[in-house]
Amino acid sequence: MRSLLLAVLAAYVVAAIHAVLAFINKRRALLRVSEYAMAVGFVLHTTALIADWALYGHYPLFHLRETLSFLAWTLVASYSLILYRYQARALGSVTLPLVSLLVFVAIVTREEPSAEAASMSTTWLFPVHTTLLLFAYAAFFVVFLASIMYLLQERELKLKKFSGIYHRLPSLTTVNEIATSSAAIGVTLLTVGIATGMLWSSARNGRVWQNDPKEVFAALTWTLYILLILYRSSARWRGRRAAWMGVAGFALVLCTFFGARLMGGYHVFG
Amino acid sequence: MSIILVGVNHKSAPIAVRERLAFSEDACAATLRELVDGELIREGLIVSTCNRVEVLTETTSGRFDDSAERVIQFLSRSDVPRDFFESNLYKHVDDSAVRHLFRVASSLDSLVVGEPQVLGQVRRAYSIALDAGTAGRVLNRLVHHAFRVAKRVRTETGIGANAVSISYMAVELGKKIFDSLKGQTALLVGAGEMAELSARHLVNAGVSRVMVANRTDGSARQLAESFGGEAVSFTRLAEYLAEADVVICSTGADEYVITETMARKALHKRRNRPSFFIDISVPRNIDPAIGKIPNMFVFDIDDLESVVSSNIREREREAERAELIVESEIMQFQQSLRALDAGPAIGTFRQTLQDVAKLEFQRRRAQLGELTPEQEQAIEALLQATVNKISHPVLSQLRLNYDATDADKIEAWRDLFGLEE
Repeated sequence: MRSLLLAVLAAYVVAAIHAVLAFINKRRALLRVSEYAMAVGFVLHTTALIADWALYGHYPLFHLRETLSFLAWTLVASYSLILYRYQARALGSVTLPLVSLLVFVAIVTREEPSAEAASMSTTWLFPVHTTLLLFAYAAFFVVFLASIMYLLQERELKLKKFSGIYHRLPSLTTVNEIATSSAAIGVTLLTVGIATGMLWSSARNGRVWQNDPKEVFAALTWTLYILLILYRSSARWRGRRAAWMGVAGFALVLCTFFGARLMGGYHVFG
Repeated sequence: MSIILVGVNHKSAPIAVRERLAFSEDACAATLRELVDGELIREGLIVSTCNRVEVLTETTSGRFDDSAERVIQFLSRSDVPRDFFESNLYKHVDDSAVRHLFRVASSLDSLVVGEPQVLGQVRRAYSIALDAGTAGRVLNRLVHHAFRVAKRVRTETGIGANAVSISYMAVELGKKIFDSLKGQTALLVGAGEMAELSARHLVNAGVSRVMVANRTDGSARQLAESFGGEAVSFTRLAEYLAEADVVICSTGADEYVITETMARKALHKRRNRPSFFIDISVPRNIDPAIGKIPNMFVFDIDDLESVVSSNIREREREAERAELIVESEIMQFQQSLRALDAGPAIGTFRQTLQDVAKLEFQRRRAQLGELTPEQEQAIEALLQATVNKISHPVLSQLRLNYDATDADKIEAWRDLFGLEE
């Protein structure tokens, strides 16, 4: 399994290096290499996840190692969708290095499989709950990136001083659309993800809400993105302010993902 | 064989010299036909534009001075004294000539680096030479290679990416803010020349609706008609502002024509959709405070000029990368030229020897008596193999000389075996 994951890492690293070089040098030939490498990596990665599942008998999203690898996989999937829909390749120069890093950490993390993992896999709610939430995180990461790109460019347009970055990023309209649609997708996933979590929880011990840190942060995150979407659609917060909200929202997402883990609680996994 | 380029450009010669040397298209063709004598100068091409007059020739090797001399004579014609322009001339041979043409085609040698018009001009010059029958094997290959280099430079570097004229900035900003100008609306306030030029660029980039507002309705209508746009009332400017994604302002007014209050109201009506303002007027006609409102961007003449000059610097940085592409392409071109040369020469040489063998075989055929078809084939194969074995070291040597572009030796080979090009 490790060797397969190492191959995945190699493909992603190649993709990341070419994406970054293409971003710096504006070379299209490099982008092609990057996309092929990413496609190869994605196929291998999917295989690795399925193999993991078959081998250990539980859905490969339980231990930190698995979660990181799965998160990387959702990021690649999301970035591919963005590529397909908006051709916004600049996102790759940040996403792909991050994906490589996640896979790398997943490889070096060692965790013994526990009996608990197998017991969780008896319900279909576990895979649905976790998968939806990880995809929601990936969507919010895209919102975050697009928002940063918006803010950087908006700032330069206001100051009328254009740096190299300005010439390499997609237009304001494009990053704005990416942020808006990703936020909508992310909130939908988050809502369904939280709902299945509640369902599962009530099936286990009759309580819908455990009041643990992860749940509190998730609720905050949900509220913030719902506000963001409402503001965007009512057109009162277009552009800059919405972009700042996309950045702030992602800070909450990070708290939900990592912070809650550190504080402990009912949610055992990352 | 040798490639020679002689000419003047905007850096080496003032306009007074360039205009005397320039050729009209007809003169180009006529001059080329005379210049190319088939002996000293075998192929020729003239690029004559407002920034350059250059004569590119393919000539017999080792006779650089004679060839350059002949070109200079043609440049001077009967009416331009030589010392009037000789000090402005540059002469490039072989690699250096190839480099120069590649740089010209890639617009690295242009007045404004990265402006693409020059490629079209080289294309035109080439088609004139083709029609005149003075572009042959070498120049064909060279010019096509130059087109390829230009394409590579354009796609692999950002040399043509950023606007370097103020009138084009509106288009560039529009693309940055709206991604595409297709279907956007522009509002022209005042009917200045620069505003008109900007608006024309916008229309070319896909702006679908142009409104023109002017204090005198007559000239507004006139300008609007020329765009297929509409003239709108200057007094109701505030209302139209809400409909405009791009506003270009250049009136002679000495106060703000578009005030902050107007802009805020417009933004409200636009439901916060972004818009940008270009103010080409001095004194300014658009309140700079509008630039502080979210989703509104204001550029005055100074801003535009500083962006343009930073874009030119950005292009120059990209030009450094383009130079590397040019260098690597020069090497490729030289290689392709060598292959181009050695191929036919070797082919002819081989054919000549095989013909000799065949002829001899046929002469002696009668003395050999009855032969089975197998025997006959065997003899033919034997002759062929013998000829190939014997000629092999000779051909290898020939190929080596070509690879080293050793002109003298190649010339010697040609004389020795009567090889034609």
